Amino acid sequence: MFGRIFLYKLKELIRMKWIIGWNFLFPIVLATAFALGFGNLIDDDPIDFHTIPVGYVSELSAGDADASEPSAFLQVLEELSDDTDDTTVLQLYTYASEAEAKDALSTDEISGYYLEDDEDIHTTVPSNGITSTTMLQIVKEYKNYKETLENIAVDHPEAMADALDTLTSDTSFLSQHDFGNDTSPYLQYFYALLAMASLYGSWISTAMLTGMCANMSECGKRFECAPGRKLVAITAGTLAGLCIQALANAVTVLYIQYVLRIDLSAPIGYIILITTLGSAVGISVGNLFGSILKNPILLTVVPLSFAMLCSMCSGLMVATIRQAIEYYAPFFNRINPGAVMTDALYHIGYYGTTRTFYIDLMIMGIIIILNLVISGVLLRRRNYASI
Amino acid sequence: MSNAIVSIENLVKRYGENLAVDHFSLHVEDGEILGLLGPNGSGKTTTINCLLSLLQYDKGDIQIFGKPMRPDAYDIKSKIGVVMQNVAVIETLNVYENVDFFCGLYIRDKATRKQYVEEALEFTGLSDYKKYKPKKLSGGLLRRLNIACGIAHKPKLVLFDEPTVAVDPQSRNAILEGIRKMNREGATIIYTSHYMEEVEELCSRIVIMDHGKNVANGTSSELKNSLKNRETIRITLPNQSDDILRALKEINHVYEARFENDDVVIRCDGGEHNLVHILSYLSDSHIPFGRVITEQPTLNDVFLEITGKELRD
Repeated sequence: MFGRIFLYKLKELIRMKWIIGWNFLFPIVLATAFALGFGNLIDDDPIDFHTIPVGYVSELSAGDADASEPSAFLQVLEELSDDTDDTTVLQLYTYASEAEAKDALSTDEISGYYLEDDEDIHTTVPSNGITSTTMLQIVKEYKNYKETLENIAVDHPEAMADALDTLTSDTSFLSQHDFGNDTSPYLQYFYALLAMASLYGSWISTAMLTGMCANMSECGKRFECAPGRKLVAITAGTLAGLCIQALANAVTVLYIQYVLRIDLSAPIGYIILITTLGSAVGISVGNLFGSILKNPILLTVVPLSFAMLCSMCSGLMVATIRQAIEYYAPFFNRINPGAVMTDALYHIGYYGTTRTFYIDLMIMGIIIILNLVISGVLLRRRNYASI
Repeated sequence: MSNAIVSIENLVKRYGENLAVDHFSLHVEDGEILGLLGPNGSGKTTTINCLLSLLQYDKGDIQIFGKPMRPDAYDIKSKIGVVMQNVAVIETLNVYENVDFFCGLYIRDKATRKQYVEEALEFTGLSDYKKYKPKKLSGGLLRRLNIACGIAHKPKLVLFDEPTVAVDPQSRNAILEGIRKMNREGATIIYTSHYMEEVEELCSRIVIMDHGKNVANGTSSELKNSLKNRETIRITLPNQSDDILRALKEINHVYEARFENDDVVIRCDGGEHNLVHILSYLSDSHIPFGRVITEQPTLNDVFLEITGKELRD
């Protein structure tokens, strides 16, 4: 029963022309438009995207014993801007005052600057995204190392030499913040596009449910008159929908990567994994809508609006909107499936398999499970107050 | 009622303040073709949906094949076929795939299913249209596909909910003949319609519904025999006078006589050879007359007498 319903639903859905149009062709058309719009910008001079020009201002007090020596933090910055190393993260400029640094920032000579005083290290970076993440992460890691060494110096001074060796030989901190190969802020648009395409899966599942629920269509009535377990049938239909959406996404990914020749900057396997999970998110969201809504117009309008809103908020139209939301309403980025998926693609593309990447995958898993459980509870009923 | 395939007792279904089915009871015997007749909005489809456990109801008891009908009564559902009022087929699947898909929800064995699907297509005259998509079919063929999807699994009980709405006469006759054949092969049929001629032609017993109630129940003859008016005779009379009307009313079984335009309309409450007696009187009295029409009562007359309104209203 499960297999037959799965195969027939697969056949039924794949023959729907609007699915071919919206789920297969539209993302390809949009990707082509993006590639025509800024494809060259992605390929141009990757080194520009590797190295962040930053300023440094010292306001350490003159009475400090080490004032004549560069501060430890400045030494770290100099190390990171050392162009003899393969990993050149920063291009460092030092300024005598914050006013000079601000001037340099205003003329785009630098992307941000650090101001170190006796109390703290202050980071000023006007744009959100990879630059701010990297600059803030450098300070964070520096403080962690500094605190660790201070604790060791107080508690175990005899182990200080070994600790220094260990910490200075640990280069994972630098490699983690390497931007990867040929990465570009413009890839954000393609990531958001893949998120949008995934959320289009919600239409597929509402279409699938329409043919299976007596309160939604005549076919649904016929279906529910049959002696089969409804949740088993819906599971088969959901799986069929997932296969179609995952295939549509895989086609889009391969088209971007191999036809448009835009490197998505991550192993293709990981990207397919994320887009497949994203497809499952879209399908499960559609199941939820289908379990709540009955009106056929709403069953089209709501998933469409949802997919557009989520993908817009994940940077489909304005790349920095996700960062702005992260700043003002970070929780929304955690529950917006489009933003979570974009974030996962962004992390795998820019940083590799970081903790954040796995957290994003976990959030997607939670969204899928929650949607399926709620919709399963709502859809398991087999008779209705009105049809 | 031990032989009842379907037993509905005191069914009540409300939509808010609107009472759609009002203490409706129905018993359908094995092998019957029961006609559920009533005007649009009388509660026929609601009753069918309650019977199929698709609709929740407020009160009442429904048993099919002697067991309580519930949404998860799969053993009962496996023996029921449903032909919906509106066409319920999948647009993207062709004729064969549609019948195979719905039949497959009941029949798991592949060989048996294949045979049943072929038989259903043969039965509905769709064997030449296997590869056609539903939108390529005419209205009549689409209705036949709707039927094929509902009966391919050879159910013991088949519910037809107005299957001939918007169907051409040729397809309609084919559908009705198909239903008779199914019944001859052992299926019990419940057939809802607001077309009284169809119900009269097809059904062995008729239940008339109005405002959700069972207002009459019996065979076509029983229902008509329950009427006071058993025969209406219409005769064109060029010369009309009250004396003629008085004389006509004197004839045995004539209970009403009146003029309508050029005609005299005479209603009889039974008896035999009423027309002979009336024509003999006119002839013997040298009263000239023209066209003569006799009308037997219809189910519409039954409905009119019971409810005071036309069935087609």
